[in-house]
Parts: sequence; structure tokens; C-alpha cells
Amino acid sequence: MTSHVSAALAPGGDIPAPHIEYGQIMPILLVLGVAVAGVLVEAFVGRTWRYTVQVPLAFLGLAGGFAWTIVLGLRDETHAVAAEGALGVDGPTLFLQGTILILALVSLLLIADRGTGSFAAQAAALPGSEAEQRTTAAGIIQTEVFPLLMFAVGGMLIFPASNDLLTMFVGLEVMSLPLYLLCGLARRRRLLSQEAAVKYFLLGSFSSAFFLYGIALLYGYAGSVKLGDIAAEAGRDAGSETLLLGGIALLALGLLFKLGAVPFHMWKPDVYQGAPTPITALMASCTLVSAFGAMLRVFFVAFENLTWEWRPAMWGVSIITMIAGAVIAITQTDIKRMLAYSSIAHAGFLLTGVIATSREGLSSTLFYLAAYGFTTVGAFAVVTTVRDAGGEAGHLSRWAGLGKRSPLIAGVFAFFLLAFAGIPLTSGFTGKFAVFKAAVEADATPLVVVGVISSAIAAFFYVRVIVVMFFSEPEADGPTVVVSPATAAAVVLGLAATVVLGVLPQPVLDLAGHAATQMFVR
Amino acid sequence: MTGQEIVFALLGAVAVGSGIMVVTTRQLVHAALWLVLSFGALAGMYLVLTAEFVAWVQVLIYVGAIVVLLLFGIMLTRAPIGTAPDLDSGNRWIAAAVAVATAALLVTVVVMGFGDAKMPLEAGGGSAEALGSAVFRTWVLPFEVLSVLLLSALVGAIVLSRTDIGGARSRGKGD
Amino acid sequence: MDLYVPIIVLGVLAFAFAAGSVAMAAVTGPKRWNRAKLEAYECGIEPTPQPVGGGRFPIKYYLTAMLFIVFDIEIIFLYPWAVAFDRLGIFGLVEMVLFILTVLVAYAYIWRRGGLEWD
Repeated sequence: MTSHVSAALAPGGDIPAPHIEYGQIMPILLVLGVAVAGVLVEAFVGRTWRYTVQVPLAFLGLAGGFAWTIVLGLRDETHAVAAEGALGVDGPTLFLQGTILILALVSLLLIADRGTGSFAAQAAALPGSEAEQRTTAAGIIQTEVFPLLMFAVGGMLIFPASNDLLTMFVGLEVMSLPLYLLCGLARRRRLLSQEAAVKYFLLGSFSSAFFLYGIALLYGYAGSVKLGDIAAEAGRDAGSETLLLGGIALLALGLLFKLGAVPFHMWKPDVYQGAPTPITALMASCTLVSAFGAMLRVFFVAFENLTWEWRPAMWGVSIITMIAGAVIAITQTDIKRMLAYSSIAHAGFLLTGVIATSREGLSSTLFYLAAYGFTTVGAFAVVTTVRDAGGEAGHLSRWAGLGKRSPLIAGVFAFFLLAFAGIPLTSGFTGKFAVFKAAVEADATPLVVVGVISSAIAAFFYVRVIVVMFFSEPEADGPTVVVSPATAAAVVLGLAATVVLGVLPQPVLDLAGHAATQMFVR
Repeated sequence: MTGQEIVFALLGAVAVGSGIMVVTTRQLVHAALWLVLSFGALAGMYLVLTAEFVAWVQVLIYVGAIVVLLLFGIMLTRAPIGTAPDLDSGNRWIAAAVAVATAALLVTVVVMGFGDAKMPLEAGGGSAEALGSAVFRTWVLPFEVLSVLLLSALVGAIVLSRTDIGGARSRGKGD
Repeated sequence: MDLYVPIIVLGVLAFAFAAGSVAMAAVTGPKRWNRAKLEAYECGIEPTPQPVGGGRFPIKYYLTAMLFIVFDIEIIFLYPWAVAFDRLGIFGLVEMVLFILTVLVAYAYIWRRGGLEWD
């Protein structure tokens, strides 16, 4: 930054206009533009029409961004920095952005579903108050959910694409702030939802502060916040190593928090349980992809010459994340909490791909993220369909005998669970196999052994849920299965992706491999 | 020691001391006011380091706006006047240990990292003009994205706070 | 640093005046007890009753504070922009207009939804 400042300080000289590659960053601009348009809709469109306008708008924004990303990917000449070096547009970024956008589209199906009604009629109404009952009865819906969702997706697109730590921090906040809010908007069990939002907000701000402190230390080390400059400075082996290592540690802390890696995972079960289930689906898929994208970029670009410094710590984090996620999940009785711990364990598996720091590590992590994202969105979509009088039937005991009551939905959920467990012919197997293969090739065999063992532990509780669903007698007043078309579409999409990526994974594996050929731009 | 260093050290002591008061005082409103002093001392430190613009940002945003928001937050939640005995949780000693350990770690990193290295202070390096030419050229994308962040913050504030907005009463006007 | 000498001098003068006035009042002023003197002073109008015993202020104030903070941050960016304006050219203007318009969208939203009405 210093060089820019001094160059611009040339007395009286004109500052040339910054060069913005609009075409290359159009998906981000489109999504954020739709978000702003969504706020304008909230302002100027009558209440009865808001939902009708917001949903197609959000769909168009996400679908347009996805289409544009594909076009960029096909052009094959995109391996450059854009917007004055703030963003990197390269193979892995486009793959991640495409994954985020398509998963956000599937999540939007759940969010937009009025049949399940996951969102509070009026977020500001006190839980249990008369105002709450009145607004709920009047069929009011809080349509601000859609612009907030688009803001969050915009931040998710920026976060893994940012080529310097400052942009990355801004992206992180644009992603996180709307998510904090969305977590508190559940229609039922609102106090739990609000508690989740406050917890997420406090812990998230705390981790952001550490992230920022890490940026400051790295700036003190390299004199720049650009990832490439930090790598160059570290390659010269100059400067103070304390600052560098401190910076890496604090930056990694902020990133690992967003992934939910142990020991920074405490928020995940509470938030996943309390948040409205469509938002949980969004967080479990898109936020994870985005955070892993940023993690990959930081560790593959800025700290590429320092693998010996950060690897041991990352080994430790990966091992305890895999084991703790799998073991604690066994004790869970709430289905959403169980899926949260499953997500923690998967973050551990994904970290083995990061540790590999190879082209194979990158491409297998990309594939795993896409495969896991679809499966988890599908699983949470199923969770929204199993309903009691008081909303979703979250407790595992309520799912007893679901296989007899509704064999189709129970079968689909069982399939998703098998995919989480990594059974062959599901996408989970392909992803795990690719990641572990990359880790073995990078001399991380002990890590893979731990990964396989914790997969086996995890398989135990996935199978337990299947047993509960199929081999126990249904309760008389058990939950009913309510499937509305949009949710059904989300389930089908998740299911299709899980099957296709399990049976015929080669095209997507090739795509991820192709995206990773040139690695990240700097 | 030059005059600048002495002023810097004194301001640092004020910032740390008032920071400790923020977390130890038993009056919530006083905590917010001690925070003003801490932020103000920090602004003075920026000024000594010739980061003039950052100093005024510190005064206008943190002393001006953030503390006002904090005070509003106190008033909106329970408006306690006088000492509040329940301001301490049972974890005060654990919290103190964690805080001291974190501070010790961060201080060690900075001391070990920089040692007694000296940087020459260039006048004008932190002026509004220098920052302006950096923000509006190099950092144009994060800058524009910040406006989106502000927008989502305001939308969120409305969603979370006002029940009457878009409610039954303002139906005729708002819609 | 020389630039700051007038400011420091002014600050010292202001502090001396303030401290001096308080001291002078304490020394020379008459001290007669009056109930009205102990009440809250709200620019001469009848004081608004304070919520007591765990009472809360209306949430409307929160929105006011948020509006203030957001537009405060917006204004902050105008300073470096204004100073560098001559050198930034037309693109600088576009950047700032875009920034302000985006934040103004929030203003439009609040206004249309009745957030600016006090009662």
C-alpha cells in the first residue's frame, strides 16, 4: 500500500481512474445489485406484491450470476486480477463462485417456500406477544429475507475471490452481517432462534477481531496486505518471523471459526439448531464453500512457502475436528444439531485437502465442497418436511418409524446420511476418496488413517438414524410429512447431485481438476 | 526520549487505564464513558503518529457515533442508574486470566516482532489526501462494497427493531 | 506539529475558561436551595419522565442511533474524497455518487416504511 500512496502523492498529479474489469466481476456486481434492488422493492412495492416480486428477482439474480460464471469459465482466458488487484478471477474462484451460486439457488427454493413458513411474520414482534399472533394470523411475511440473503451471497462471492486481505475482510463482513440477522428470524421457537443469532453475532465479531489483528500483523511483516506480496516477502525470508507466524495464527483463527473447525466450533450446533432451517441449509453449504475458498486462497497463495510452519498446527486442528465432530455427534438427539456436528466432521475431512497443498489437494477439495454442499442442502430440505403441530419435529425420537409413515422421504434422508458417511456410489465417497488420495500423495497418511477411523465412527450415528427411521414403531401422534413443490424441488436437486456425483463423478472431477490446473492467480 | 515519545507513552497509559476501567466499573453508563476516554486517547496516539485523518475518524466515528449507540443500547435494554451488582458474572477471574493471557501473547508478538525498530514519521502520510487517493483508486472495490454493508446494516436494524413499520397502523401510508 | 500549536492553545484556553467559570461560580455565587434546581434540565421544557425500575426507552431511539452512525460513516468518506477531488477526475465523482446512492436506498426504505414517523 505504501508504494501506491507515495505514487499518488506526487504533487498535483492527476490520479488515473481505477481499472475495473466489469465483465470478470459481473456475478458479484449482479448479486449485490439485485440485493439493492430488493431493498428498493421493499420500499416502493405494496405489501401484497412484495413476495411476488422479490422471489423472481432473487432467482434471476442468482441464476444470472451463475450463467455469467459459466460463460467466464468457458472463455478460458480468465486468470487475472480484477478491480485494481482486489479480486482474483481464476479457475478455482470461478468453480467456488459457481458452486456458491447454484447452492444458493437451491437454498432459495427452501427460503422462498411459503408452505413450510420458516420465517417469522414480523421479526421485531416480541415472542409470545399479541402483535406476533396478529401478524402471523394476517399472513404477513418478512420479505426482507430476500435482499438480506442476496447481500450474504454477494459477500460469499467476494470472500474467496479477494486477492488482498482488506477486501477479504470486507467480504467476510458483508457475508456475516446478514447471516447473523437471518439466524434470528425463525418462525417457531423464536427465543432459541434469537439466542442463536446473538451467540453467532458475538462469537463472529470476536473472530473477526482476531482476523483483523492477523491482517495488521501481516501488514507489519510484509508492508502490504496483498496475498502475493506477503508470499514474496516470506519467500525472501526477510523480516520478523514472529510477526509472520502471529499473523498466520490469528488469520487462520478467523477463517477456522467460519468453517467451524474444532476448537472454534462452539457456535455451530447452537446456530444450526436455532436458525430457520432454510438458512441453516444456506450456511451449511454456501458459507462453508465460501470460507473454505478463502482458506484455500490464503494458504495456497500467501503462505505457500511456509507449509512447514503451518502444517503441524493444521494437522492438529484437522485431526481433532474430524474426531470431535464424529464422536460428539453420537450423543446428539436433535436432528439439526446432529447435522451440525456432521458438518464439523466434514470440515475436518476437507482440511486434509487443504493440508495437501497440491494441485490434487485443491481440485479434490473443490469437488468435495460441491458434493457435500448439495447433499447437506438436500438433507436440511428433508428436515423442513417432517413436521409437528409446533413446526419441525427436531427431536430424533420423533423420527421413529418415519420409514413406515413416509417411506419415500425417509429413504431419501437415509440416502443423504449414507452419502455423509461416504458409502460408495454416493458423492460423499467420491469426495472423501479424492481428498484422502491427495493427502496420501502429500505424505499425510496418518491424517488419512484418522479420517477413515472417524468416518467409521460417523457412519455409526448415521446408521443409527436410519435404524430409528426404519426399524422402530411409529408413534401414534408422530409427525406428518408435508412436502410443498419448492421443497420437493430442492430435495430432488440435492438427491440428483448426490447420485450423479457418486455414480458418474468424472465430468465434475475433470471440471474441478481443470479449474485447479493453474492454481490461484496472484 | 523525545517529546513525541513521551506524549505517546502517556496517551497509551491513559488508553489502557481507561480500558481497564471499562471492564471493572460497576456502573454500566460509566463504562461507556470510560470508553470515550480510551477512544480519545487512541485518537491522540494516531495524531502523534501523524495519522491525522485516522485520528479524526476515531473521534467522529468511535467517540461520536459508537459510544452514542452503546449508550442508546444501555437505555433501550434496561436503563440502570447507579451501580448494578449483577454486572459481574461468576467468571470474573477466569475472564481476567484469559484477558491477561491474550494481552500478554499479543504484546509479546508485537515486542518480539518489532523490537526497538524505528520508523521515520513522514508528515502527510496519514493525511486525508493520501488516504483519498488510495481509497478512490486502489481500494475502490472494497469501498463500494462497504456502502452495501452499511445498507444491509440499516435494513437489519429496521427488521429487528420496529414492529410498527409496515404493521397494521402504517398500512395506509407505507404501502 | 506546528500546525497543532493554535489548536492546543485554544484547547488550553477553553479548558481554563471552563474550569475558571466553575471555580468562580463556586466561590462567588449565592447558594439558595430550590427544588427546581435539582430537577433534570431539558432546555426549559417540562422534563420527560424517566422510565424507572427496569423500564425501557422506546426502540425508536435505536433506529435514530443507527441512522446517525451509518450516515456518520458515509460523511467520513467525503473528507478524503473532497480533498483529492481535483485530482480524481470524473471517475471519483461517479464512485462517490454510487456510494451515496447505495446508502440513500436505505434512507428511502426507512422513509417509505414509516420509520421516520415518530408517533
